[in-house]
Amino acid sequence: MSGVPAVGEEIPQLVKDPTTRQLVQYAGAQGDFYEIHYDQGYARSVGLPGVILHGLLKAAFLGQLVTDWLGDGGKLETFEVSYRGIDVPGRPYLCRGVVKKVDGDHVELEVWGEDADGNRTTIGSASVETTG
Amino acid sequence: MNIIDVIDRLKTRIGVEGPAVSATVEAGHVKRFVEAIGDPNPRWTAEVPPTFLVALAPAMLHLGDAEEFGRGWLNGGNRFEYFAPVLIGDRITARTHVADVYDKMGATGEMLFIVFETDYVNQHGKTVARLRGTAIRR
Repeated sequence: MSGVPAVGEEIPQLVKDPTTRQLVQYAGAQGDFYEIHYDQGYARSVGLPGVILHGLLKAAFLGQLVTDWLGDGGKLETFEVSYRGIDVPGRPYLCRGVVKKVDGDHVELEVWGEDADGNRTTIGSASVETTG
Repeated sequence: MNIIDVIDRLKTRIGVEGPAVSATVEAGHVKRFVEAIGDPNPRWTAEVPPTFLVALAPAMLHLGDAEEFGRGWLNGGNRFEYFAPVLIGDRITARTHVADVYDKMGATGEMLFIVFETDYVNQHGKTVARLRGTAIRR
């Protein structure tokens, strides 16, 4: 983070390019082996267009957005995400955030993830303590 | 299966706590996790990134009854509260309970929501984080 954050300021964006390979890697690292994340046939059989990103992988992307901006000195206090739409591998995933409130060292952010068409498929918020 | 019957049965599980799960935060696991999410922050060689706890201990009670409704699961959302950093080498115990059960009409029909809450406690008895997760059955 550079300087004192101002309400309305957008924090630096983070672009992710998830692949099917990454979904398999994440399934292993998290221990979530639900087939909708790596088995195309299974995903279609439950009404999905194909394999989709784990909600928690998108949460991890948004977590990185916040901690990258926060830097070493800061502390994350709460972090909340709500999944409003599905995302598929092979399409870029854009993570964005805006400063909503500043009270001394306490800052509240609105964060969201956008698909390639600009749809906010994940929305959320984070509150942080910006010390140091 | 009728959603009302499933909900009535699941509602009796509100407050029920699953078995405690304990695990040590291993450097190799954290490394595989940050590689998987693609976050190269050097901070994650000592402490864990914001969502790592979900990988450490299962944050869900398995509710087989819920699977009598709908075709599949979706994750509705997650809310993390952090009280202290989680460091590599920490021994964390997770306890999960069912916090709420309800239904809602969505664009693709009726959906069943189950809210889970997990408390994570470290080896010093300190609660380091709390996670609220909403699982959707549709």
